[in-house]
Amino acid sequence: MAGKFCVSLTHARDDTDKATVAFVIANAAVGSDQETVVFLSTEGVNLAVEGAADDIHEEGFAPLKELMDNFVGAGGTILVCSPCFNKRALDENALVKGAKIVGGAKLVEFLADGTPSVSY
Amino acid sequence: MRWDAGRMGCGELIVGLKQRLATLPPGSSLELLAEDPGVSEDLPAWCRLTGHRLVEAHPPRYVIEPRKEA
Repeated sequence: MAGKFCVSLTHARDDTDKATVAFVIANAAVGSDQETVVFLSTEGVNLAVEGAADDIHEEGFAPLKELMDNFVGAGGTILVCSPCFNKRALDENALVKGAKIVGGAKLVEFLADGTPSVSY
Repeated sequence: MRWDAGRMGCGELIVGLKQRLATLPPGSSLELLAEDPGVSEDLPAWCRLTGHRLVEAHPPRYVIEPRKEA
């Protein structure tokens, strides 16, 4: 991998436009040989649960599930904010492929060398 | 020292660890019990960042040796 890139996403069904574009950009990054992380926090953590993105299809874009599957299939990682996930009482045994529940230190480590991050 | 952090995780846990490690007598270690599902990813990252040593990681039990101050 040539470098690293982070996409921070705080939305899911509450803003399907932002959720979709975040994964479009994440796909661009991983497709550009960047070690890419999508960090899901606050409402975004809902997307980490299997089935949550299945019916989200923003006009003009590929379906969100397809974007997420392509991202993980290309080697991308989805990090899921632990307290945000716990607060919503989501099922940690139903995570989408490629998703890991983490605390803030994992994100800090990824970004600590100056890795760029964009937020949606 | 032993600390049962229960379901605590993320930044709250990290600050609690920092405070407790600072009070440890030289040569001793901290046994941590932490049930948050993010801790198994977070703790190794935090130790790499800070120089503390994670000597055991069998969730929910972890043992940390504080870094030796210069």
